[in-house]
Amino acid sequence: MKERMAIIEGVRSPIAKAGGKFKNLQAETLGARVVQEAVLRSGLCYSDYDEVIIGNVSQPTHAANVARVISLKAGFGDETIAYTVHRNCASGMESITSATEKILAGSGKVYLCGGVESMSNVPLLFGTQMKHFLEALSRSRTLTQKLQTIQHFRPGYLKPVIGLMQGLRDPVSGLMMGSTAEILAQDFGISREEQDSFALESHQKASRAQQKGIFAEEIVPIVYDIAHAKIMHDDDGIRHEQSLEALGKLHPFFDRKNGTVTAANSSQISDAAAALTLMSESEAKKRGLDPLGFLSGFAYAGLEPKRMGMGPYYATAKLFKNMKLSLKDIDLIEMNEAFSVQVQANLKAFPSKHYAAAHGFNAPLGEIDTNVLNVNGGAVALGHPVGMTGTRLVIHVLKELRRRKKERGLATLCIGGGQGAALLLEVV
Amino acid sequence: MMKHLKYSQDKEGVATILFDHATLDVNLLSEEVLLELEVLIEKLSQNDELKTVLFKSAKEGIFIAGADINEIKSLTTQEQALAKVRQGRRILSSIATLKVPTIAIIDGAALGGGFELALACDYRIATENPKCKIGLPEVSLGVMPGFGGTVRLRELIGLQKAMELILGSKQLNGKKAEHLGLVDACVPSGYLSFKEAEFIAAINSEKGREKILSKRHKPTLLERLGSALIFSFTEKEVAKKTKGKYPAPLEVIHHFKKIQDMNFYEALESETQSFAKLALTPESKHLISLFFTSERLKHDSGVGKDVQAKPLHRAAVFGGGTMGSGILWLFSKIDIPVRLKVRGEQQIAETLQAVNKNYMAIKKRGRLSQREIELKLDLISADTGFRGFEMSDIAIEAIVEDVSAKETLYKILETQLDKEAIIATNTSSLSVSTLARSLKYPERFVGMHFFNPVNRMPLVEVIRGDKTSDGSVATVIALAKRAGKTPIVVGDCPGFLVNRLLIPYIVEAVHMFEEGESFERIDTLLLDFGMPMGPFRLVDEVGLDVGYKVAKVLEEGYGSRMKTAPIFECIYSDMGLLGKKKGRGFYTYIKNSSEVNEAVNALVTQKHSFSDDEILDRTLLVMVNEASRALEEGVVDNAAYLDMAMVMGTGFPPFRGGLLAYADERGIESVVARLKVLSTLYGARFEPSRLLMTMVQEKRKFYKE
Repeated sequence: MKERMAIIEGVRSPIAKAGGKFKNLQAETLGARVVQEAVLRSGLCYSDYDEVIIGNVSQPTHAANVARVISLKAGFGDETIAYTVHRNCASGMESITSATEKILAGSGKVYLCGGVESMSNVPLLFGTQMKHFLEALSRSRTLTQKLQTIQHFRPGYLKPVIGLMQGLRDPVSGLMMGSTAEILAQDFGISREEQDSFALESHQKASRAQQKGIFAEEIVPIVYDIAHAKIMHDDDGIRHEQSLEALGKLHPFFDRKNGTVTAANSSQISDAAAALTLMSESEAKKRGLDPLGFLSGFAYAGLEPKRMGMGPYYATAKLFKNMKLSLKDIDLIEMNEAFSVQVQANLKAFPSKHYAAAHGFNAPLGEIDTNVLNVNGGAVALGHPVGMTGTRLVIHVLKELRRRKKERGLATLCIGGGQGAALLLEVV
Repeated sequence: MMKHLKYSQDKEGVATILFDHATLDVNLLSEEVLLELEVLIEKLSQNDELKTVLFKSAKEGIFIAGADINEIKSLTTQEQALAKVRQGRRILSSIATLKVPTIAIIDGAALGGGFELALACDYRIATENPKCKIGLPEVSLGVMPGFGGTVRLRELIGLQKAMELILGSKQLNGKKAEHLGLVDACVPSGYLSFKEAEFIAAINSEKGREKILSKRHKPTLLERLGSALIFSFTEKEVAKKTKGKYPAPLEVIHHFKKIQDMNFYEALESETQSFAKLALTPESKHLISLFFTSERLKHDSGVGKDVQAKPLHRAAVFGGGTMGSGILWLFSKIDIPVRLKVRGEQQIAETLQAVNKNYMAIKKRGRLSQREIELKLDLISADTGFRGFEMSDIAIEAIVEDVSAKETLYKILETQLDKEAIIATNTSSLSVSTLARSLKYPERFVGMHFFNPVNRMPLVEVIRGDKTSDGSVATVIALAKRAGKTPIVVGDCPGFLVNRLLIPYIVEAVHMFEEGESFERIDTLLLDFGMPMGPFRLVDEVGLDVGYKVAKVLEEGYGSRMKTAPIFECIYSDMGLLGKKKGRGFYTYIKNSSEVNEAVNALVTQKHSFSDDEILDRTLLVMVNEASRALEEGVVDNAAYLDMAMVMGTGFPPFRGGLLAYADERGIESVVARLKVLSTLYGARFEPSRLLMTMVQEKRKFYKE
């Protein structure tokens, strides 16, 4: 990268379990609350921004180009342009890297980037047969025609298609995301118990962090039920009393017979939004701003869809190669916990000579120090509102680096469909 | 040569009469305009080439705003009044008797006489222009339509809807007017040019004409057989709303009853008679005078003409209590992004809950949709710290009435806000000049005293401290107007204007209770006088704690003449009663009913009954006396503004024109004589003020004739 990008202020909503507290907040409303707060806390004016870019996976049908809706609802003027980006689970990062490319290309100077997801509001759909039936019905003009069409109706048409499940299935391999995780468990021989203990640790770390008020430093409380004066300020997915016994009670979800991946050792389905302000380092200097930190490099990499969970390995390798860095240079790592086993597989692959050789890499990446990995827990405990997670990881890495008085961090995640993302973040 | 009308005729024989008042921004049916119109219509009636006549306006957003209210106000005898309306009626009737079709093109306000003209046309087209307001609001000025409007409206939309529209002084937009049958069509303003031609073509074909006329009102069964039912229902509604204090609505009902069996011309004459009767009532004179005061206030920048109000793009509200949430709501309502600062997160939720309640009430009345409400709620953000306030152009402080708490806040605000940003305090009892001393830039500091509840009370007292700049005053005045409020600049004295007058009134009532009078009787008498509620109910409503604290501030500020009644302290401090909010005060409140709180009654053992006059005089004249002092001190610009403040801030009965109008009507000499008697009986607080004494000597009144 020609120049580092300065991240000014970054905030996020608490993460609410899907179908819970935020179920009546549509993505655009939740997004607008957080974006508004990000702008107000940035010390900049709305008119300073050139564009709003928001990552969102299950884009609401009632708010096409949700970024534009969010930007207007958040207080931006009619003249501020906005568009929505989609790179599955990396959408919240894509908003930042897209803005970076635009800044480097000279298209604009100041960007509002973010990610939003309301998994509670992914719709149920009618199947194709029902759609065809309804279309035929609306084409029928006379009563006879209508009666004829109606004869073809079958009750089975009414069976809804669950939008969320469709979103979590890779259409190329035909596998559910969880099934791709099962493949990694097989590849690396990671048992159910190992996965559960990783999940337990995630809850314990998150619980500790929440009690210490670490998340509060990035959270904007959200009024989610105005009629009853209800406000939410803490992530509600963390189980403070989580135990191996409790984890062990769950049945594997994706492979009922032999599987190892359960709902409890996977990330949670949730609702949340996050937003930050991005500009070049020189622009920040010119404006006299004190950035939260900097983005100094990023990489996206592709791999086979049915092992999409290895995305962090691929993306990190590419980033390190581009930046001429190695794990030794990294003080802190956030690797999104889409599935416990998927992070564990990466932990095993990173130092493996065999894995590197088998997959066309020159050398292994090295051993990850688990003391600096996901230090405050991850998506298994907090939740994974897909479009938002990427933005959250960036904000969290920077704030945690500052707390630890360290310099350089890595935010990486796996992407459904077979991609990986890795962002290099610095605070000095 | 015509001055206010323009006439043109195209080759198809379509004539246009264009109203364009030569000297005003609006069109009015003044005598001059009417006479000009008469000559023109007379000429048209001889014109054989004429096919259609259109009535239009050249004014932006105005068709014809009404008759000239000044002319109505100046009517003093019945003969004048009769002559005035007969003339207007005759001229509008000449439009109705033109042989060719006539169409009113209403692309703006068509009110009162203006809509009566449209009613005299054969057809009416309205537009979706938001400024298009249609109605007969004469009753709100204590009169009724007099140019044939009642009779023509009843014919057009039927008895029931006609009475509803006139009694409620309703002003409808184009769509609603079409729905109710007031107009034959409502089209988007931008389509007018070709829709007009289509409409003319339609009325020139039999089929088209029939289609238009078939949509008009047909008498309902209820109207044909059950008009007695309609009348009795309407009478009940009016009695409930006006308590018989306003003659106009009663006369309107009476008139509609009377004309049931009359022919068209008899009915018109009956309307004329009823109008003439109402135009001379003091109630109408008072309501018109208040209307003029409000017009004057609309154009008063508060500081003299040449000071520009600062444009406000973003606001901040500090404090989330009753006032804070009300002010927060108000900003979002008028589409100004606003940021709230409160202490805790739960308070954010509770303040927003209160804001939402106001919106839900509006939604229930159908004024805003859920989508519109959500967009307004989007304008509100909140913080428990001081982040994100830098962009605010104005901050309104509505925290506890505590000098040091306020000063601490102002110190922080001066570090957070731009030095041009206005800081306004919603204090009701502290001196603005004193509070300003803690500020580095005191010229941007001003008092903006909203009344509770903010969504319903129209008055805003704007308090100018000794260092407040003209620009700051002009800015908050403009803001209050933008919010649909009535701002009045008042001096920085204890209690400002309204509380300074209201507290002595309440204290006097409490004195009488202490002397043995039943407080329920005092309340009933003042309610009957026309106050929205008696003084004891008012204290309960406001809260005894609030009332007592303000009374103490006034006692401290004005000394012996404002000494509070000892029993007041006993009820608040010893008995710990707070009023309606906690269910117990002078009355006890259970759900929607209330009764006298016997525990309070038991505090006074002696019983003494005053005459009605004594009770009214003690409470009202003590206010008149204080009002004259405030006026003399220049706390308010003039008597008319003071009266408007009392009407808007306390609900002082509008039909009486205000407190000082009431004093004028009683006669200043008699007021002073009565005050002297009261002062020998009850103490020096009744001693007539210097201004009142001078007025007697100079035979002056508060209002010039």
